[in-house]
Amino acid sequence: MNYPVWDLAFGAGLLMALVAGLHVFVSHFAVGGGLFLVLTEMKARRNRDAELLGWLKSHTRFFVLLTVVFGAISGVGIWFTIGLISPTATSNLIHIFVWGWAIEWVFFFLEITAALLYLYGWDKLEAKLHEWYGWVYFIAAFASLVVINGIITFMLTPGHWIENHEFWTGFFNPTYLPSLLFRFCISLALAGIYALITASVQKDAALKARIVRWGALWTVPSLLLLPVFARWYIRKIPADLWASARGAMPTGTHFALLACILLGVTLLLTLLALIKPGRLHLAFSLLVAVVAFGALDSFEFVRESVRKPYVIVNYLYANSLYSASIPGDGGYTVDKIGDAGVLKSAKWVGNRELTSGNQVAAGREIFRVECESCHTENGYRGLRHYIVLRQWDLDKIRAMLGSLYLMHNGAMPPFAGADAERDALAAYLATLQSGIAAAPGPADGRTVFEHDCVMCHQVRPDDHLFTNLPRDQQTAIDALKDLPGMFPVMPDLKLSEGERRALVQWINTQRPAQEAGAPAKGGN
Amino acid sequence: MIDPGMVPTIDPNPLPAPYWVLKTLLVATFFLHILAMNFMLGGAVLALLARWRKGNLFGNRIFFDVARKVPSLLAATITLGIAPLLFVQVLYGQYFYTSSILIAWPWFLVIVFLIAAYYGFYYVAYRGERRPRAAGRVMLFSTALVLIIGFIYTNNITLSHVPSRWAQKYFSSAAGWNLNLSEPTLFPRYLHFMTAAVAVGGLLLVLIAWTKWKEDSEYARSIFQFGGKAFLYSTMAQFVVGMWFLVSLPRDLRMLFMGDNTLATALLGFGMAGALISIFLMSEALKKDNIRLAAFAVSGITGLVILSMSVMRDILRDAYLQPYFHPQEFAVKTQWSPFLLFLGLFIAGVVLWIVMLKRYGFFNRTKAADR
Repeated sequence: MNYPVWDLAFGAGLLMALVAGLHVFVSHFAVGGGLFLVLTEMKARRNRDAELLGWLKSHTRFFVLLTVVFGAISGVGIWFTIGLISPTATSNLIHIFVWGWAIEWVFFFLEITAALLYLYGWDKLEAKLHEWYGWVYFIAAFASLVVINGIITFMLTPGHWIENHEFWTGFFNPTYLPSLLFRFCISLALAGIYALITASVQKDAALKARIVRWGALWTVPSLLLLPVFARWYIRKIPADLWASARGAMPTGTHFALLACILLGVTLLLTLLALIKPGRLHLAFSLLVAVVAFGALDSFEFVRESVRKPYVIVNYLYANSLYSASIPGDGGYTVDKIGDAGVLKSAKWVGNRELTSGNQVAAGREIFRVECESCHTENGYRGLRHYIVLRQWDLDKIRAMLGSLYLMHNGAMPPFAGADAERDALAAYLATLQSGIAAAPGPADGRTVFEHDCVMCHQVRPDDHLFTNLPRDQQTAIDALKDLPGMFPVMPDLKLSEGERRALVQWINTQRPAQEAGAPAKGGN
Repeated sequence: MIDPGMVPTIDPNPLPAPYWVLKTLLVATFFLHILAMNFMLGGAVLALLARWRKGNLFGNRIFFDVARKVPSLLAATITLGIAPLLFVQVLYGQYFYTSSILIAWPWFLVIVFLIAAYYGFYYVAYRGERRPRAAGRVMLFSTALVLIIGFIYTNNITLSHVPSRWAQKYFSSAAGWNLNLSEPTLFPRYLHFMTAAVAVGGLLLVLIAWTKWKEDSEYARSIFQFGGKAFLYSTMAQFVVGMWFLVSLPRDLRMLFMGDNTLATALLGFGMAGALISIFLMSEALKKDNIRLAAFAVSGITGLVILSMSVMRDILRDAYLQPYFHPQEFAVKTQWSPFLLFLGLFIAGVVLWIVMLKRYGFFNRTKAADR
């Protein structure tokens, strides 16, 4: 709200995922592939393998055209895109790490120059000198990973930087080292996988087989090492963050599972390629690449979803509000906006005052400045879909907005603003479900649970709902009448008598008998 | 109406070095970026003109000789562009992010266009001679994309200078298509940069001619004449375009260059004098077939003129933002160790870079001619 919000109908998050997803698949190759080039060249020269050298020359062209053009520009593309979608986070990251970015640029410059000279030098330079360019390239490329890794991991685990604001504390943060090794492993695996692609179009079967075996030697051990570093990585992520990616908001867990499966499939496919390496088909090599792409992107999704609701953990929320008051926050914290009002605090809203006539229009603007960094109306994470699915009317939406920060294991920041502004946002969101009929009368308990409870509660014996709800049916039905009375942060949902009865009956069928009377613990 | 409230608040982190250090880096790296951009874009435009020019014996050869250099020049443009992109965000983030968001779609498309243009240039460099007809079309396509990118940049930069216009644009549409077409300086400013690119492209041809002067004298003379004239005509045209740009500026800003600000006035005077002298020297060089005069004296003077223009551009930006931008208000907390590490790595990097070029044979005239 300090910056204007780009009204991107299909979803800012989707655009970011697209640009970043494509970039990482090439940029990791740019690191591991550099080592692959120079070591393969040395191996080919040592074995006097002219065919392998000939292939490597064409592979270099493929490598340079992919990394120097697409890899480099899509990297700038990420920068463009985050500036458009998260200008506050970008501005912070720029200012915190100016010299980190500047150092990254030095390595980038060397990397590009060395890559081009290595490519152009194939027919012009003597072997040792040519390999020297290969080494310069690889070292510069690896160094650029060393730098950017500090900034990426900072966002997830800023560690003690939050207290001391020191460059090196933020840079060498808790996940720095495991992430660096993890990403380097990925880059080595990708070097082998990309080699399969250019190998597959070779006519000489014996040469093809040599390359496939050599490539697998890069891919297989790296993939086997990955889980080790992944485990270390996860252990360095604060437990509450990691836990938040499980359970009620399982995006992180889903993608983690997907990453593991796709990683396994990549390994399997690489091993399959070894059965008849001389007959590797282009389609097969592309399949390996696509599966590996899926695995890598799934990992990046895990990283992003674990980080929610923050863009910089314990510092800045995804919607560009600071999570705590700090000098120079400009008033953009949840508390300060709660006091001052979002329409007064935000620079980029037209409706400065709420009147009887502008509630929906102002609500639309509040949606834009507070929600649209992650949500859309109808596109990616579209709210119409959620609201229609759960049949929420105006009252429920209003009640739910008060407990945003509890939803989905705390994946969302709290609503920031005055009560009347929350009502305005609810009024706008209620217009999204205008098409649906009024909620039908007494539903079955499971439906009530899925419409009204599932954002915060899970069907687990240790969930508060199951441990704390009185066992006696009528007492429970009465207790549900006043949810905030049960637990102050609960939304005041005003469930009907029929809904409450159905819900209680269903809950009683779900909880094991031995849990009765167990003390409340765990869950949400 | 000027609403300073619309300018976003800067984030809480202090500058990690004194303002003047960051400002110097911004202007210096922008100068290098614009130099590379001029060579690349001017080279591409002149390659196309050489090909289409009737009655030129060497048209096609010039086309391919220049086209082969464009991908590396584009790589240099992008690489050298990253540093000023960083430093402009460090110092002018509030203005730059906001204007970028207002033209979000075109700004995002810069990336798409750039990738397409880049691959096109590589296609011409690698496959062009085998398919000369397609090469011409692809070159035209890529050059057009780069010209469009320049136009989007001019839109963004001019829009970042006028916070007073943001609200009206944003509230009419937040969808990110707000080009700054109503800006009076938009077209003259854009043409000013593009005309300069053609002039510097001419110097690229002169430099190519110089590397081939002895071994292939007839061709070198032809490319010298072509490049030299391109420099001559576009620099003459620049007097018209530059004047248009100057008069299109708001009066108080224009007056900065006409007496109100001594440095700005001196720089403009130097720039115009430099342009006049280089026109004179280039026409002498062309008449007397003196490649060294063109390759060294004219290039040197032009380099200084571009440097002075880069400083003028910065003065103009600060003058536009004068109601909002007050550098003395920046909080500064120098991060010494990362800063010194950067300086050390930068110097080592430049040395290594020169060693790379040297070992490749770039400073050896005959070998350089191959590249």
